[in-house]
Amino acid sequence: MPGLIWVLEAVLLGCLLVYRWTDLRAVNPRPARMLLIFGAGTAGGIGLTSCIFFLAGPLMKLAPADPLVELALLAWVGYLCFRMPPHSPASSPRLRSRLAVPLAAALVVTLVIAAAAILSGLEANPHGYWDAWAIWNLRARFLISGGGLAARAWSPVLGATTHAAYPMLLSSFVARCWLFGNVTSAVVPAAASLAFFLALVALVTGGIAVLRGGTLGLLAGLSIAATPSLLHQIPALYADVPLACYMAGAVIFLLLEQPLPAGIFAALSAWTKDEGILFLLVFLAASAVWRRSAIRAVVAGALPVAVLLIGFKRFLAGGSSSLFFNSLPGAAHRILDPARYGTVLSAFEHEFISMGIGWYHPLLPWAVLAVALGLDPKQRRTMFFVGAIILVLLAGDFGVYIVADNDLAWLVQTSLNRILVQIWPLLAIAAFLALRSPDVFGPAPQLPAKSGRKARRATSR
Amino acid sequence: MRVTAAILVAALLCLWGVSQTYALETDYQRQNADPYQISAAFQRLEPLRAAVPEDAVLGYVTDTETGSAVESAMFLAAQYVLAPRLLEKNVTHEWVLGNFTRPADFAAFGKTKSLRLERDFGGGVVLFRRER
Repeated sequence: MPGLIWVLEAVLLGCLLVYRWTDLRAVNPRPARMLLIFGAGTAGGIGLTSCIFFLAGPLMKLAPADPLVELALLAWVGYLCFRMPPHSPASSPRLRSRLAVPLAAALVVTLVIAAAAILSGLEANPHGYWDAWAIWNLRARFLISGGGLAARAWSPVLGATTHAAYPMLLSSFVARCWLFGNVTSAVVPAAASLAFFLALVALVTGGIAVLRGGTLGLLAGLSIAATPSLLHQIPALYADVPLACYMAGAVIFLLLEQPLPAGIFAALSAWTKDEGILFLLVFLAASAVWRRSAIRAVVAGALPVAVLLIGFKRFLAGGSSSLFFNSLPGAAHRILDPARYGTVLSAFEHEFISMGIGWYHPLLPWAVLAVALGLDPKQRRTMFFVGAIILVLLAGDFGVYIVADNDLAWLVQTSLNRILVQIWPLLAIAAFLALRSPDVFGPAPQLPAKSGRKARRATSR
Repeated sequence: MRVTAAILVAALLCLWGVSQTYALETDYQRQNADPYQISAAFQRLEPLRAAVPEDAVLGYVTDTETGSAVESAMFLAAQYVLAPRLLEKNVTHEWVLGNFTRPADFAAFGKTKSLRLERDFGGGVVLFRRER
């Protein structure tokens, strides 16, 4: 329980920071605004406190003062939020979709059933699946130790048997809650995993609701919350759902004309898992091409966490080799082997189909909507932006499988389902953005007044 | 009307999907509860954990097949429980953890690797000391 309090403190701190320093507080409609603040605050708060802990604790050895610094920050930001003038309700049009109430109820029921499924997994495997105790939470156990022992979390000795050079966001956050709560309870990584899932659903629902109307927003949230392969990964306590959350958040924020949080989330994805590094690079490139006016703010948002990541990879974990560098010897031979391409392609097909359960596939609800609503040609530019990111990510993952030195069958069997879980929310965002909105005769979604012209342009696209 | 029906069908499909997931997940988890016995590893290794200082680097020996999934699981589970103590799969350190799956003559096992049995914690957990 004491560890859980520090998970909630990070969420509260994140929500207050988002409310105080982003334009999301001016987003309408109100339910979408609340979802976006909760989603951004939860994932952002976990990311921020994880970075502060890693810098202050294992690097600067200031850990004992860290909880007090965080509580002081929480009190200060809370005070600033309290002093802020209230948001004018006149500028908050009601969500007039006739189906908003039943769809919101369906989303709540879906989340309750999903939570029951997740809890059954956590009850059976309180320490999560293999990677949770062999990588993520193992390193958290090193990080909470005093003296110079925290550095063992990225030691080459540890790297010989596990992935000590993986980015530290999740391990560092779990260690923070354990240390501050003075307990190494399995409840903390479980709560973090659940928090990321809820943040993901909130970000997708709120983001699509603002961009394309409440009906499509709620349906997108339903689709994510009911994805069988995604739900299976939450009790695993791996970094794939947090990564999916940060990647989806980055894309949503950029589409909402919030480039600074978009950059922060893209960098946090890189600080979560190696696949996030590819996402960060692709996201920066796609932003430079499709959202040129936003690129400076995106880079500014990404820079602090990116510097932390580079410092960690270059100077701390440099002794632990990565999958990529391990795979370089003999890579040419594997690249020229046509059988590997067939194996990987058929694995992609198999794992994509396996995202469902029985005859249910998470693509099915979207397909029904696509037939009835049709596609909106005005969304083409946005589709290119999100679609390009997805395609390059998939191509990158495909390339890693081709060159990887590991046993290919084992590698795709143990990782490809999680790669698809990472990318699935992006695919859902693209798919739901592409649909014609059934809310076209309702009030137009409103973006922050500060960037009103850009917002209108974005809405018309 | 057609659009409303499609929206409701999509929502119902999601509810159906999550219900199916719940049924399958609970069944799957019942059959795959703690397959690597991590909770049990905490109990097995707790006495050793209490006896060895936190900054120790221990060697590691086992009776499991080298390179097998059982060997990896037992090693990483022991590392997880014993952190921040560090384990290395060799016998070059002064202190060596013996992590065994079956009862055996651990002293004789150690002797073959120039290790002296220092303490048997039970449950296949043994602390060896390197003979000088």
